[in-house]
Amino acid sequence: MNEHKGPLLLSAKDVVIKFNLRGQELTAIRGASLDVYQGETVAIVGESGSGKSVFTKSFIGMLDQNGRVESGSLLFHGEDMTKYSAEAQWLKVRGKKIAMVFQDPMTSLNPVRVIGEQIAEVIMWHFHKSHDEAKKETVELLRKVGIEDPEQRYRQYPGEFSGGMRQRAVIACAIACRPEILICDEPTTALDVTVQAQVLNLIKDLQREMKMSVVFITHDLGVVANVADWVAVMYAGKIIEYGEAGEIFHQPEHPYTKALLRSLPQLGVKGHDLYAIQGTPPSLFKEIRGDAFAPRNMDAMKIDFEEEPPAFSVSPTHWAKTWLLAPEAEAYRQDLARRDAEASSAQTPSAPFDYGKAEPLLSVKNLSVHFKLGSSRVKAVDGVSFDIYKGETLSLVGESGSGKTTIGRAVMSIYSGNVEGGIYFKGRKINQKLSKKDRGKLRMEMQMIFQDPMASLNDRAKVDYIISEGLYNFHLFENEGDRLAKVEKMLREVGLTSDFMTRFPHEFSGGQRQRIGIARSLIMNPDFVVADEPISALDVSIRAQVINLLNRLKQERGLTYLFIAHDLSAVRFISDRIAVIYRGRLVELAACEELFSRPLHPYTKALLSAAPYPDPDVEKNKVIHIYRPEAGDAATAREWIEAFPFHFVLATREEAEEYRRENN
Amino acid sequence: MQSTIKTIARAHDPALFTRADFDQAESERIGVSNYSYWRSTLRTFFRSKLVILLVALMAAILLMSFLYPMISRIDPTKVSTRSRNWNLRPSWEHPFGTDTLGRDIFARAWYGCRNSFLLAFCIALSDVGIGMIAGAVWGYNRKLDPFMIELYNIMTNIPSTVYLVLLAYIMNTSYLTLFISMASRGWIVEARFFRNRILSIRDAEYNIASRCLGTPMLRIATRNIIPQIISLIIMEAALCIPYSIGSEVFLGFVGVGMPVDAITLGNMVNQGRASFTLHPYQMLLPTAVLCLITVAFYIIGNRFADASDPRNHL
Repeated sequence: MNEHKGPLLLSAKDVVIKFNLRGQELTAIRGASLDVYQGETVAIVGESGSGKSVFTKSFIGMLDQNGRVESGSLLFHGEDMTKYSAEAQWLKVRGKKIAMVFQDPMTSLNPVRVIGEQIAEVIMWHFHKSHDEAKKETVELLRKVGIEDPEQRYRQYPGEFSGGMRQRAVIACAIACRPEILICDEPTTALDVTVQAQVLNLIKDLQREMKMSVVFITHDLGVVANVADWVAVMYAGKIIEYGEAGEIFHQPEHPYTKALLRSLPQLGVKGHDLYAIQGTPPSLFKEIRGDAFAPRNMDAMKIDFEEEPPAFSVSPTHWAKTWLLAPEAEAYRQDLARRDAEASSAQTPSAPFDYGKAEPLLSVKNLSVHFKLGSSRVKAVDGVSFDIYKGETLSLVGESGSGKTTIGRAVMSIYSGNVEGGIYFKGRKINQKLSKKDRGKLRMEMQMIFQDPMASLNDRAKVDYIISEGLYNFHLFENEGDRLAKVEKMLREVGLTSDFMTRFPHEFSGGQRQRIGIARSLIMNPDFVVADEPISALDVSIRAQVINLLNRLKQERGLTYLFIAHDLSAVRFISDRIAVIYRGRLVELAACEELFSRPLHPYTKALLSAAPYPDPDVEKNKVIHIYRPEAGDAATAREWIEAFPFHFVLATREEAEEYRRENN
Repeated sequence: MQSTIKTIARAHDPALFTRADFDQAESERIGVSNYSYWRSTLRTFFRSKLVILLVALMAAILLMSFLYPMISRIDPTKVSTRSRNWNLRPSWEHPFGTDTLGRDIFARAWYGCRNSFLLAFCIALSDVGIGMIAGAVWGYNRKLDPFMIELYNIMTNIPSTVYLVLLAYIMNTSYLTLFISMASRGWIVEARFFRNRILSIRDAEYNIASRCLGTPMLRIATRNIIPQIISLIIMEAALCIPYSIGSEVFLGFVGVGMPVDAITLGNMVNQGRASFTLHPYQMLLPTAVLCLITVAFYIIGNRFADASDPRNHL
């Protein structure tokens, strides 16, 4: 019986890949196997460091210099590619038979050559065609990947393309040789949600048309649900569960897969902790005994620490490497299932935020921020007004370049001179010259949490100094002992131990670093926190930890958050109200559930429809709205109208009337 | 995939299939990355045999040039009146021979090294020191841009020789003149270099975080900025030294260098040049020392620049 659509193309068997890293040996892939069949999409899901990129890079012989395939085999059409010794042998496969699309389109394009020539070159090189023929074919390819006006676009440089267009061009380049397998390494992670949805559709269409196999690498379960026929879950260099997409999403067996799916904020119940995976992924420098996930698994069994589980099959198309499926574990398994059922039925969502008694803590009135770009002036934020009430979480959602981070930084008084309008905190205007004392007080009351845990900590300073920086600035401690006690208390509050104090940030994982960043801001005891995409750079398994932490701190300390995000799905769980921003202007502002149930502005609709949802059945049937803003004055003629109670939208009067009619 | 599914041959102890205790600390333990910036930089730096050799050699020459004047009894300025002591070929007694006045070239070479090094160190210190401070101020105040860029253009577009010759004419030749004439120009090149570097890390998230915490400028500079660019400072200083020594030789060559009685490598090369056709060793040996020092410092500086780039840390 063969449940696959086509013949077997590529078969990786027990691949072990090792790296020499600064004198130590790291086993990145600890015996992973994967079969790729013709015309199918297999998605490899895993967090950063799980080895999913390294594994697929070995399919085209592109491991970094210090890495090597230690054992195992890579059979492509029956030929073992691990035996390849010369680069010439790889060249017959790489690009021609197996092509790859990377995360950042800019790394695969030459910025000083026109896009068309770069693609034409590939065709000329592989098919020995004349320049004219190659050019004709390139224009055809560009048209195929959905680039409008391909003749014009042929002559443009990568810099003249938007991020989504660039990724389309890279895809055109990758499919130029009609490869049998297309490996997509997080091709949409750097793109905006609305663009991501379009690129995913493009990949699916191309696959169907060209009968390619696609190996799709991603950490985003929503994307997986959208594209995958088959899903392979990777953890610590091993594939731990494999099956059809529906099976993985609806009936996961491995504790890690289960935990991943349960910890998604989309599935959270408001007012309750999200299900969070504890801890951080294991070190691959050391030998891992038993199930690699066991130390983080609250319900691990003793055998998980002793012996590595073999693959148990669940159905002919689904297997998982977990001892839970062993016949001996039957009793324990039922016990777990019973407890899970009890836990999930008990949760009811908390009451929505009461705006009746709320008083505004921060008011932004007609805020504009401009930047000088050469001789021209760019308005990053254009006449934005909103209030944040004490104790609420207002989320600001928009794509990259929409000005959301700029608003956050303007509120924090990072800019000088280029901010117009008023920012009022506790009734006082703060974007003006303040006395040193007032400014200092403000610095204590308002704090910021940053996006990138790698960039936001000074990696030449110890954790102790990083967390006490604010204490030093305002002498918020009596003596050295008092300071240490405060730092220690803060560290405990974010779930870290005091022996981390003497270490440098590079010794921590992303999630731990983000928690250090949170500790640094909250040690000042602020009332108001700007959280600038605090979870978007984190791994899926870590996000829930940080979301829970932010929620808990909010309740314990009565904080007010301005939460900045680029993706609507993640903010539903945390926000009380959501403001949608597009090209520097707010387009819609409403209470969270109201916005999800009754989106008015076409851009909000596009955002909502594009957000990937982690359920293949939902994803396969979804319709994507594409928002095309009209050019010129029409946009500026709109005003900020309360279409429904507390539901604001940027629209003309006629549009607002129409919105009201449609939704009543 | 069916083939990979193994059947378990042996039975397991049922006690193993019960709940294990959850250890919070164990779950938080990560593979502490063994990466340390300085350790990796030094490891990459000393990986090359050439670098080890050159660093050892430079350390030896430096040590010797400062120790030799203390332990040696040979007076490098002692002129011999007897013509048989003039222009002696290298021998055991005079390893580098003697010059036209019978002075011992070997001794003079060490004194020359010392003086040239001292001059170069002073220039490196002022260039990099002033340059860094000016660069930091420049990087943080965009309003200075038009003025500083013009100043940079003017100072770097006038050929350095013209400028140095002019300055040397105005003032009497001395160590101080030479120092002023070289230091007054070198800082702006360094300032621009540091300005660009500081500009690129000025808006890094951790610096914005410090601003949000109300950290005063001075502490941001000493705790956030300088530790990040310290390797660049070392590199620039290392590259400044051969440049200064080379300039000193060149100025001597065009006749506006040090006074004739000062012992520097530049003066020795120039004095040796006069009798080059008859006694080539008088010029070649000091030149060899000079070349060795400048080339070694250039290589060390450049290799250090490579090693301090995290992208080269493997």
